[in-house]
Amino acid sequence: MAAFQELVARYYHKVFMVVLGIFNHREDAMELAQEAFFRAYRKIKSFKGGSAFYTWLYRIAVNLSIDFKRRQRRNPMELREAMDGVMEERGELGKDPYSDVQGRELGRRLMAAINDLTPGHKAVIVLRAVEGLSYKEIGQILGCSEGTVMSRLHYARKKLQEKLAPFLG
Amino acid sequence: MMDCEAIKRSLGTWLDGALGPLEAEAIERHLEVCPLCLGERTRLERLEASLKSVLEERASGIAFEPFWGGVRQRIEEKRSRHVRLSDWATPVFSPQRLAWAIPLIIVFLIGLFSLEGFFPGWFGGQSRSNLTAVESIDAHGLNVALFRQSKTKTLVIWLFQHQEGEDESSGESGQGQPSF
Repeated sequence: MAAFQELVARYYHKVFMVVLGIFNHREDAMELAQEAFFRAYRKIKSFKGGSAFYTWLYRIAVNLSIDFKRRQRRNPMELREAMDGVMEERGELGKDPYSDVQGRELGRRLMAAINDLTPGHKAVIVLRAVEGLSYKEIGQILGCSEGTVMSRLHYARKKLQEKLAPFLG
Repeated sequence: MMDCEAIKRSLGTWLDGALGPLEAEAIERHLEVCPLCLGERTRLERLEASLKSVLEERASGIAFEPFWGGVRQRIEEKRSRHVRLSDWATPVFSPQRLAWAIPLIIVFLIGLFSLEGFFPGWFGGQSRSNLTAVESIDAHGLNVALFRQSKTKTLVIWLFQHQEGEDESSGESGQGQPSF
């Protein structure tokens, strides 16, 4: 159990970021990330070491998030409230690199734009942004080819750029 | 020479470092002379930086202890069911006890089936007295006995040598009766 606790300590933040990026709801993302670690604990014997541990862990977390997202369509108002809470928190923490009003608006619009993407596109762009994973690693996590990862990334970036054009200059 | 549309399509892949050296070089040369594509690169880089910073900021308030508490609770809930079952089963199924139990069970079963020989039918099985028909047919000096069991429909064929002495001593009983 202590060894597993160390693994959780090492990866929980990144896993939470990925799930939050896909699911876009803080409390649910927390639950899903914890569930992902629990499932990893249960299935740890089935991990053969064919891939890196974090790739395997992200795969569990991403599949869990996508499945949950598909089953449960969130109320847009709820999303907005959740994002408002996050924006307030960012203001309190004072770490926002875009601390001016335009920067906050960019963050808000960015999350809304991500939320409009399909789960598959979200997963690709979040995995790339959070961890800087290679196309091959993202393909292993999502169970698709590198070419698919590349085209999904291109599409997702294009959509985000379109929606955020006024803020990106 | 790549045109601007082709550059824009490959810009993200180039920034990810996933392009081949020839294509990467072509993009770098193009960016030196094309302000429009350079602007596109800047926007893309800003998008990536914003995305990362927003996700990091949103996830920054999560402390480890409460997170681990939730994971541990899930594990312990699952384990408690597991532990209850294993507590019950471990004394019975421990390897040391199994080492004794298996031969004992075998001896017990052998004994059980041996008793069937002394007390036919006591074990709930088909007893020998349940044979419904026994026929003896004389064929070329050999007697053939057919045992028909009523429930299982099993046929047992037993061949035995016809003995002359037996005919003389039990000539009457041999008529139509099996001798074995």
